[in-house]
Amino acid sequence: MAGIQLAHIQKRYGTTEVIPDFSLDIEPGEFLVFLGPSGCGKSTLLRMIAGLEPVSDGEIRIADQPVTHLPPGARNLAMVFQHYALYPHMTVRENMAFGLKNIGLAEAEIERRITEAARMLELDKLLARKPIQLSGGQRQRVAIGRAVVKEPGAFLFDEPLSNLDAALRNRTRVELARLHQRLKTTMVFVTHDQVEAMTLATRIVVMNQGRIEQVGSPIEIYRRPATKFVAGFIGSPAMNFIDAAPIASDNRHLTVRLPDGTELETAINADQLGNGPLVAGVRAESLQIDESSPIRGRADVIERLGERTLAYVTLRDGAVVVAEAHRESPIASGDHVGLRFDTRNIHIFDQAGRAWHGN
Amino acid sequence: MSTQHIAGKRLGDRLILLAVIVLALIWVAPLIWVFGLSFKPNAELMRHTNVLFSPPFTLKNYTDILGNSSVFRWILNSAIVSLGQTFLTLVLCSLAGYGFARTEFPGKKVLYIAVLAGLAVPEQAVVIPLHHIFADLDLHNTYSALILPRLAAPFGVFLMTQYFKAVPKDIEEAALMDNTPRWKIFWRVVLPLSVPAQATLGIFTFLNAWNDYLWPLISASKPEMYTLTLGLATTQGNFAQSEGIGFLMAQAVFAGLPIFVIYLFFQKYIVSAVAGTTVR
Repeated sequence: MAGIQLAHIQKRYGTTEVIPDFSLDIEPGEFLVFLGPSGCGKSTLLRMIAGLEPVSDGEIRIADQPVTHLPPGARNLAMVFQHYALYPHMTVRENMAFGLKNIGLAEAEIERRITEAARMLELDKLLARKPIQLSGGQRQRVAIGRAVVKEPGAFLFDEPLSNLDAALRNRTRVELARLHQRLKTTMVFVTHDQVEAMTLATRIVVMNQGRIEQVGSPIEIYRRPATKFVAGFIGSPAMNFIDAAPIASDNRHLTVRLPDGTELETAINADQLGNGPLVAGVRAESLQIDESSPIRGRADVIERLGERTLAYVTLRDGAVVVAEAHRESPIASGDHVGLRFDTRNIHIFDQAGRAWHGN
Repeated sequence: MSTQHIAGKRLGDRLILLAVIVLALIWVAPLIWVFGLSFKPNAELMRHTNVLFSPPFTLKNYTDILGNSSVFRWILNSAIVSLGQTFLTLVLCSLAGYGFARTEFPGKKVLYIAVLAGLAVPEQAVVIPLHHIFADLDLHNTYSALILPRLAAPFGVFLMTQYFKAVPKDIEEAALMDNTPRWKIFWRVVLPLSVPAQATLGIFTFLNAWNDYLWPLISASKPEMYTLTLGLATTQGNFAQSEGIGFLMAQAVFAGLPIFVIYLFFQKYIVSAVAGTTVR
């Protein structure tokens, strides 16, 4: 397994700056996920690590060796592509053997690696088939197998699950997690799907416009998002954002007033916070339907998801928030409901979008 | 959909089918005529040629071809020229197409436009300069002279460029990750994927080369260097009356056989090529 160091990486296309200045250390053996919306530069970054895209400036080191100007094949990496990228005219076995033959590996060793990978990925019976004779899931397993047999220092995954249907995506996700546990090799994974990121990653790098918004463990990023962008991007449904005005603070509690007049005493130390307008953020699970609460609204849409029920509630000032009700709640569309904020889990965002959390 | 509408549609389909059959018969009638006459004795055909389906029939015209004429030499010439032209065109157009589709070099766009402009240059416009060049090189009456001028194939370059552009880039990138040198990516990964386009281009090139008349007429003045089309034309002009129409028709059938076989085996590629698509 190999660590990867990215030092002041820049990428420009003509005058367009895609990645302004990116630095990150990827630890050996970790499962790192680049997460962000389309066009944030995460795939470009992965391709630069792979050597498929030249770096405009900066240095890439893999296993402490500078590789910035090395060709892709010389970096000891394996990549799994979004559209599988199997060689259509070769059988599964030939697909897996192709790269190994290129580096002059002995036939016996090639056979050993293919047999082992095929057993691990349940490809034994597919080795003589061509990609066109395989289902999407099987093709993706072959693509993973082709990467595994190389026994690389690190694996790169470029949105490998996005072409699979929901059930297959879940299954393949679990297989990838198992693969990582078994191989313990560094894996770098690009996705825009937060569920994939949350379930697979040991660390997530949330990216926006070519920059790092936050690096952290999945729970850290979910519980303590560093910015309003991260808070809005992670979590389903998205975090509720409500304009808030600070009305009182001491070194332990900040009290804010919402547009409908509701006053909330948060657990946030507001010593460093300026005086400008703020935004309060609260996740649906921290905003419960509670008939005894004086904060009222009208439930417009009810989503019954089985394990929980979500209600889209319009507040008195017209703002819409998503709140959680008990899974067997009798709440119906059009009902007037009460809302209870879990003030320990309210986040505050200043004008620059920086987040402030309760202690 | 109403019953009346369905009945009307069926009638329309049948009328179209009938029209297609009539047109096909019009096209195929001369071929049947040629085929039929090739089995008739020359003496009878000297009197009249409207005796297609009545006896006597003979194979003498074909045995004459096998025994006496220069047709085999011309067929050999045509085969060498057509196969050589096809092979070299495929090599050059594939390399050029891959270059235009996948590599970056200064002046690429201008060069590509120049190649495409070649599509607008009529064959007749370059015949005299070509004649001078090959005369200066003392290459007339050689296979080189018959093959080389036709290797400038803008259509082939265009076809292969478009095809290579359509090959997913990530397949090549996967090969790069697999430590594959550029030439090997072309040879082992991309070229096998372009077989349908190669087949289309190969068939058209072969057919054009086989049927080519103008350039061989200019370049090959010695009968032993004639291609089949040229040889048959000279036979028709000078000896049709003396050697007989039946013999001439047998030569035409004989000459057309390779084309017929090619159509038979590669018709799916020809159809897709004519339809402007490629079979993948």
